[in-house]
Amino acid sequence: MAGRGKLIAVIGDEDTCTGFLLGGVGELNKNRKPNFLVVEKDTSITEIEETFKSFLTRDDIGIILINQFIAEMIRHAIDAHMQSIPAVLEIPSKEHPYDASKDSILRRAKGMFSAEDFR
Amino acid sequence: MGVEMNEASLRLDECVLRFMDQLELLEEKRERLNSLIEQGWFSMSKARYSMGNKQVSALQYGNEIEPRVRVNVRTLPNGETEFDTERVELLKSEDSEKDLKRVEDIGPKEEGVRRRGVTKEEVAKEQPPPQTLISKETIPPSRGVPQQQDPLKWFGILVPQSLKLAQVSFKKVVELSAEVATLQSTVLATRADLQALMADKRAAAALQEKTPPGLMDRPADSQTDTGLLNARQADDNIPPSDS
Repeated sequence: MAGRGKLIAVIGDEDTCTGFLLGGVGELNKNRKPNFLVVEKDTSITEIEETFKSFLTRDDIGIILINQFIAEMIRHAIDAHMQSIPAVLEIPSKEHPYDASKDSILRRAKGMFSAEDFR
Repeated sequence: MGVEMNEASLRLDECVLRFMDQLELLEEKRERLNSLIEQGWFSMSKARYSMGNKQVSALQYGNEIEPRVRVNVRTLPNGETEFDTERVELLKSEDSEKDLKRVEDIGPKEEGVRRRGVTKEEVAKEQPPPQTLISKETIPPSRGVPQQQDPLKWFGILVPQSLKLAQVSFKKVVELSAEVATLQSTVLATRADLQALMADKRAAAALQEKTPPGLMDRPADSQTDTGLLNARQADDNIPPSDS
């Protein structure tokens, strides 16, 4: 039963990753590939984007948790992801509180109620 | 206003209300998720304060990391996706118990009363060859399932209570994040429904605009006409009055 379930991936700062790994989501697979990325000051946007895309292509990942400020860096990649699996969840970080107006899902939902629709 | 238009409007209203409810629930869960994460960080900071700045960091992550929580994903027929977390329990099989016992046996090498005043050479002779000990220690665990370790142990054996609290908070966050993911999927599915219903309503409105107003009212009018006709016929059948 345990083998069937999918993983939760994390892209975040050190504290976020440490917290979620404490929660038991971490995995290092046979190829020593982790399901998390600790974003530090010197982590490039390309690296973040590539990791995000690699998580999207992995079929053993069900949910991707990403700090909202990091999601802002790769917004185009997140907006381009329209499938329901893996689900992308934007979470706050220590220095950047959660802003619902930036969340991709809520922005899509908000886009529903434009004046055009109700004419 | 046509019947189709009315029905489309009603269905749309119902969908909008459902959508609003889901958004409200999502916001509520989001708030709880965010506050739990903050609580976790706070506990982690407290642990860092008592253990030392570098003691709770990415450097302490284990060499072997096994997931202790997994998500079961189900796609429902209406297009929604359901996420359920499933916690993998720590192994408590006979093998693991044996392993624990063996580790305990190896630990205290000098059991019982220590003999003093004996030369090192004599002790070396009496002791079993070290190879056997090493071979015992290096026996790989003969199990199909890899050994799982509590991530809390990465940070030491005796960790402060605050780190345990941080772990509890993040465990709850993981469960809640699956719920939020399910709700997000529901919101998106309802949004798609809403778009479809809106398109239906527009189509109905366009149809109504195209149809001439007289044509739409024809059946009702014809009914009235026949009614009048019947009334007239009935009048004709009335036997003439006494006059």
